[in-house]
Amino acid sequence: MDIVILKDILTVAATIILAPIIGGLLTGIDRKITARMQSRSGPPILQPFYDLIKLLGKERLIVNQTQMMFALGHLFFAVAALAMFMLGQDLLMILFIMAFSSIMLIMGAMSVRSPYSKIGAQREIVQIMAYEPVLILMVVGIFLSTGSFMIRPLFSDMFSFGKPLLYDLPLVFIAFIYVLTIKLRKSPFDFSTSHHGHQELIKGITTEFSGPQLAVIELTHWYELVLFLGLITMFFARPVWIGIGIALICYFCEIVIDNISARMTWKWMLQATWIVGIGVAMTNIIWLYLK
Amino acid sequence: MDKYTLLALAIFIPLLSAFLCYTFNKPWVRNTVVFVTALIMFAVAGGFVYYLIHSGGKIEISLESLHLPFDVGFIFKLFDFLLLAYIADIGMKHKKPLIVFLSVLQAVALLVFELVGSVKEPHVVFVIDYLSLIMLLLVSVIGPMITIFATGYMKEHEHHQHLEKSRQPRFFAILFIFLSAMNALVMTNNLSWMLFFWEVTTLCSFLLISHDGNEKAVKNGLRALWINMLGGLAFVFAIIVIYNALGTLSLEELLRNRMVSAGLLPVGLGLLCFAGFTKSAQFPFQSWLLGAMVAPTPVSALLHSSTMVKAGVYLIVRIAPVFSGTTLGTMVAVAGAFTFVGASAIAISQSNGKRVLAYSTIANLGLIVCCAGIGSYVALGAAVLLMIFHAISKALLFLCVGTIELEIGSRDIEDMQGLFKKMPFTTVIAVIGMISMLLPPFGVLLTKWLALEAAVKLPLVLICIIIGSAFTLVFWSKWIGIILTLSFHAKYKMEKLPVAMSATMAVLVLAVIFTGVDISMIFNAVVAPFLTESLKGLPETVLNGTNGLWLVSESGRMVGGFSSFYFFMILFLLFLLYPYIFRSSKAELWKPPYLCGANTEEDFKGLEFNAPADTVEHVIVHNYYFAGAFGEANITPWANFIAGAIIMIMFGVVI
Amino acid sequence: MGLVKKSRIKSPWVLHYDCTSCNGCDIETLACLTPLYDVERFGIINVGNPKHADILVVTGSVNKRNERVLRNLYNQMPEPKAVVAVGACACTGGIFKDCYNVLGGVDKVLPVDVYVPGCCAKPEAIIDGIMLAASKLEEKAEALKEAKAHA
Ligand code: SF4
Repeated sequence: MDIVILKDILTVAATIILAPIIGGLLTGIDRKITARMQSRSGPPILQPFYDLIKLLGKERLIVNQTQMMFALGHLFFAVAALAMFMLGQDLLMILFIMAFSSIMLIMGAMSVRSPYSKIGAQREIVQIMAYEPVLILMVVGIFLSTGSFMIRPLFSDMFSFGKPLLYDLPLVFIAFIYVLTIKLRKSPFDFSTSHHGHQELIKGITTEFSGPQLAVIELTHWYELVLFLGLITMFFARPVWIGIGIALICYFCEIVIDNISARMTWKWMLQATWIVGIGVAMTNIIWLYLK
Repeated sequence: MDKYTLLALAIFIPLLSAFLCYTFNKPWVRNTVVFVTALIMFAVAGGFVYYLIHSGGKIEISLESLHLPFDVGFIFKLFDFLLLAYIADIGMKHKKPLIVFLSVLQAVALLVFELVGSVKEPHVVFVIDYLSLIMLLLVSVIGPMITIFATGYMKEHEHHQHLEKSRQPRFFAILFIFLSAMNALVMTNNLSWMLFFWEVTTLCSFLLISHDGNEKAVKNGLRALWINMLGGLAFVFAIIVIYNALGTLSLEELLRNRMVSAGLLPVGLGLLCFAGFTKSAQFPFQSWLLGAMVAPTPVSALLHSSTMVKAGVYLIVRIAPVFSGTTLGTMVAVAGAFTFVGASAIAISQSNGKRVLAYSTIANLGLIVCCAGIGSYVALGAAVLLMIFHAISKALLFLCVGTIELEIGSRDIEDMQGLFKKMPFTTVIAVIGMISMLLPPFGVLLTKWLALEAAVKLPLVLICIIIGSAFTLVFWSKWIGIILTLSFHAKYKMEKLPVAMSATMAVLVLAVIFTGVDISMIFNAVVAPFLTESLKGLPETVLNGTNGLWLVSESGRMVGGFSSFYFFMILFLLFLLYPYIFRSSKAELWKPPYLCGANTEEDFKGLEFNAPADTVEHVIVHNYYFAGAFGEANITPWANFIAGAIIMIMFGVVI
Repeated sequence: MGLVKKSRIKSPWVLHYDCTSCNGCDIETLACLTPLYDVERFGIINVGNPKHADILVVTGSVNKRNERVLRNLYNQMPEPKAVVAVGACACTGGIFKDCYNVLGGVDKVLPVDVYVPGCCAKPEAIIDGIMLAASKLEEKAEALKEAKAHA
């Protein structure tokens, strides 16, 4: 029993340390690839780390006294969600914890009297409303396929070949990749805030976070990115390196989509996600029921 | 103290206090009575917990053992008819033929039932098991707390109303009668007695809703009355049908049946569910609960949290094991799930805080009904847990909104911008209450999670719950965002509230937190025994409460779970960090929000900006309400139509 | 400390504000973002939000109406921060110097760290100017720290 706990603690510790490194590097690669697609040479791969450290070293401006708390809450719960994922916990609960993390950011953005961040927060809420059902349907699909909400079994003996989850859930996977675009704030769904450049809402939800607060939010994105790639891996996790490879390919596809599409309106997004996302996922789930 | 004393105390102490409140119109007498009654009721609830655990999970009290010198059954019947006569009289006075008609119909049905064939009353008149205990705890702990709050609130309320003569004696008397009836309702084993208590709560809610006496109050009160009378009528028919099917009126004996075949019993159960639907304001009967908002806040808090609406779901959860797994069960689940998604959708478009709360209550009751309909171990567990958590959180939220309304004179969410500055104490408590309604690791979300995990076998129910919970997230987070809005202030001053009000809110918020942290304890102590007892012999996924809740399948494999404890640790860590963050946020670091460089010179809050031609404009940002897609007027007719159809189908299936 | 210093130089985020420019300098400033010049390779990002910016790039001369906006934007930037005046107008007032409403160069209002001359300033010069300002950020941070210690 003790060894199990020790192992768990080590897993969590490794997650906390390694995830931002992986997430930061991936973000750096993302920026490099994006630059190449636009025939630019792009920033160094380590650029996200420079940005982060610089932000940490900046003056701690505040608009009110509570912003930092929300930013930290955003971070803590994202880390918690990732740790739960690594420990193979209940997938549905992981989603709810992630939702908590997002809500924290929304509360932080709405806590200031800035029209930009407030409207950004409203759009973020609409986004959650759009993608949350699809993610939950994904969990249901996984339950119907494996008979468990815990994801530990999915990663049990992950180095040997086996039937991947994808076999049962191809449409759910497509729906998941679809909503992933929203979650990763990629075009055409980057209207609550965007990674680069400005938009009509300045920086939307993150407008009023500056310096270290912004650094915390950036860090949270890296944890989230790792978690999402982990979720993709889960669909193929046998053996695990194929899963990781496919997750990276999917991430590359997201980058392509980001670069070839223009931003849409939230209304369009809501309709598209509900009709396409829920429709596709539900189709898959119904066939699992009938099977 | 033995069980008889406890029983008598639970029912008669509130009645006595009602009498005292009514006769002595002196604030200090009233306050003392309310306070002492509250203490006694807490003690009685505690006594029941102790007694129940030591008597093996079930207390039975038979008629003979009471040694009553008179025929109680007869007295109850007498009271029943008197009550119906009184309601008919109300209908007459307000020229509502519908109410008169319903009460006469009920009286006639009851009379025929009593006269044709001698009805055998059950032996055992009171049965207290764990479900009753949970309800008792909710009623006798939250109820008196709300009355304590009311002592502070009603003073302010009447102050605003400029009454010549205080109507508080009447108000508190009815409150206590209400509590007494609720206590009796959850303990009784005799369906016809239950009907009596059921009608008493109906009448009390009418009297409380129309308490202020203005036109709107009376109108909404009457609506509550006729809808609940409709439910009462269904209850009467249910009694008749069930008696004909089983030859008994004992709830216990009813529960011993597992419904397998068709026949009369399913119809009776369907009618009982119908009665439950009206009382818990399920679609299409939601309008009475929304109308109930006109009443003073303590009334709404009481109706929405521990009493009235909970009586409806109590009945459905109580009989749920009988129809577990049948088509009737599935239809009940669909009806509940539909209410959940419908009410949550409408809540998005509401900007009136109390209406948002009301729709959220309806939605949560829908979820409880839905879980009861699914009827598996996990689902019933979710239903019971949700009853507990929802009662506490909702009572708290109503009290908060009431307090806010007294202070700022509005219940509109948009008017609550920057509330934190004006009333930090209430705001923090309200935010904790709201978070406890929608986010993990608090109890309400855990039940939603359980409901989802229980509903995976029913696609229609599942999709309703999924979409409903997405909606839930929207309307709560909008509201939280609004009240947390604040500019920098070097110092915050606590608002001054009457002690009765602030103490009640503080206690309730502590209850929210402790029940959330200790969910496993609550589950193991009261919920699990109820589930094992009522679902005996059904092998299926069960719940296990160690450091959280875990789903264990028949084969002993862990299929889901959550250790909420660790997540409370993270929240506490945040709270611990907050003083540090607060202190390190010095005034010289404070900058106004970005307004494209057009902030006015003196304004550091970001409220004003320089507009063209050197005018100064105000910054106004409203929430999205999606009135087009989720507007009340657009959705309600359709929702009522579909919900009506679902109920029709429900009866169609069982007949 | 070295890490922070290096990061500051490697990640200057820019807020571009157009005072009374003829738009010539703005076109050149935005040209820096094009693939040909690609400032992102130096980590420069045009953030458009003073709260995120390190360097304020101002084009055009300051006039009586936009002075308060310029001050406001500068004021909302977190320390350490620098100001780059791009183009003759921003440096001295340029050809608009004698207009009735013009106050002059940016240094009439804000402490300018780098002057990029030219009408219009060349993109290469602008990038040079921003990088020079970035290397000054560290100095400014030190100075701030000292000022704080003395206070
Ligand atoms: S310096 Fe020349 S190009 Fe630049 S703004 Fe002034 S006039 Fe226009």
